[in-house]
Amino acid sequence: MMHSDIKSRPEYRALEPDLAGNRHLLVIEGETLQHGRLDALAGTFAPVAGQLQTWLVGAPTAASGLGKVWQLAGPDAVLDAFACASRGFGMGDRLYVQGTEPFLWSVAGAAALVGFGPGQVQLHHAGSLRRRVWCTHCHAFTDGVTTNIVPCGGCGRHLLVRDHFSRRLGAFMGVMVDAEAPGEIPAIEEVFA
Amino acid sequence: MSIAFKPEETFRGDYSYRNSDAAILRFPFPFPEDRYMYSVNIEPHTRSGPSDVFLRPFDVDEHYIAECRDRAITLERDPGRCQVLPHMMMAQWDTLELLMENLSADYPELFSLTKEGDDFGSRWTWINRPLRIKQSFIFGDAGTLPCEPFEYITRQAQGDFAICDQRDDNLYMDAGMITAQADWSLEFDVGMSFMEWHGPVPLAHQAGVFERALKYLLMLRLGQPVRRLNWTMSINPRLDTSPESFPEWGPDRSSVTPDNAGHKVHLRVELQTLWRLPRSNAILFPIRCYLASLDDLARVPKWGKRLNRVLATLPPQLAEYKGLTRYLPATLEWLAKHDDGAELPVGTEAGVTTLAPR
Repeated sequence: MMHSDIKSRPEYRALEPDLAGNRHLLVIEGETLQHGRLDALAGTFAPVAGQLQTWLVGAPTAASGLGKVWQLAGPDAVLDAFACASRGFGMGDRLYVQGTEPFLWSVAGAAALVGFGPGQVQLHHAGSLRRRVWCTHCHAFTDGVTTNIVPCGGCGRHLLVRDHFSRRLGAFMGVMVDAEAPGEIPAIEEVFA
Repeated sequence: MSIAFKPEETFRGDYSYRNSDAAILRFPFPFPEDRYMYSVNIEPHTRSGPSDVFLRPFDVDEHYIAECRDRAITLERDPGRCQVLPHMMMAQWDTLELLMENLSADYPELFSLTKEGDDFGSRWTWINRPLRIKQSFIFGDAGTLPCEPFEYITRQAQGDFAICDQRDDNLYMDAGMITAQADWSLEFDVGMSFMEWHGPVPLAHQAGVFERALKYLLMLRLGQPVRRLNWTMSINPRLDTSPESFPEWGPDRSSVTPDNAGHKVHLRVELQTLWRLPRSNAILFPIRCYLASLDDLARVPKWGKRLNRVLATLPPQLAEYKGLTRYLPATLEWLAKHDDGAELPVGTEAGVTTLAPR
């Protein structure tokens, strides 16, 4: 399901604490926390629990067993939290992110700005396969896309959702599906549940 | 050498772009054999080759002024076609130096560069006669130019330019001046690694082509540039076939018939060169685009026949990737009329020195 022949499509794997790390930051998108999943994560991160803090984003309930836990309202709060230089992350620290794909890349982008290199970051895709789609024509983003073709939220053109993915934009490419023959729009199907 | 520029010709609207006979004869035709072959085909970028376009590292031809103007129009509409990530300033100066030095040395009637020294802080004066520009500036001080150095010099050059930063045994597309692209978006691709920006290319990944190409490029040496030809097709002589403007040019693909293919369908050949840059250790990647209509190409009998045979053997995945699917049948029908089936010598040379009258 996650596999694609297009090589820009990222591949994700399960989170695993890097014991060589100094401090460990786990950022979890609340909607991806299934029942029982929290306990499993707590077990996974038990070896580094003493140096662990967790940012739980948009989760209805508090969590325990994940080190020091902070509740954050939404993705914007994560960006603000990273921007707060007083947290002082360094190259020995490790970041683990679990969430939907747009969430993963907005957190990874914010972390990169405060100095997290690719080798310090692990991303685990969980929850919905909904896509953030970037319109190649008007450059607007359309969020929560579940279909192979979607009207652009910016210019209204019908965009074919490709597998080509930009980590910088955290989004898939959308290209006008009927540019060659206006009005010829193939069947629209639910493909990213 | 003097070049008869065609400053009024256009690459949009009325598409008045035309090739002179001389321009057709020097076209970098990319197919040495009668069937389509996929290969990396990288070779040293020496001052020689089967076409005159290889004689100088940065080729300037009769379309120079018009191409620079078309770039300015595209940038006016979409400034995001030129992007440079902040850590690339050294590579910007490397690029400016490389282009100014080569252009002034190879085309002294057109360009001149006067330098007080080679180091940052020295005063340089650049004269571009075709575009009527004279600029004195301090090499290394971007504030002494009207815009940043990469944009400044690539506005005065034919072809697109990308700069790849080299780190972590990979190449990252961290800068670009991209206004004549074959349907890829700089805004989407900027910052991508080598494998990522080649992600959509079919067949080649499975063949290991990109792993080998990347290994090769990471070893690229200063003063030893390399080149390859790449190709696709365009309807009308349009430089700006970007995904951004696809709604404008996409419908043209439905307009091709066996009657009009000769002047509508163009072979689009990219002379891609790769240069190690001296201070930044980045790689400059110029993508110089040449356009010739089927009418043009068929005036060289060998090329018209060969194009027919190559396109007839193109794998469907590649036709789809290059966007040819909709008009390939009409194109082949037109080309078949210009192919008598005669045996053709291997090689890309035109095989003629003059063309029959139009």
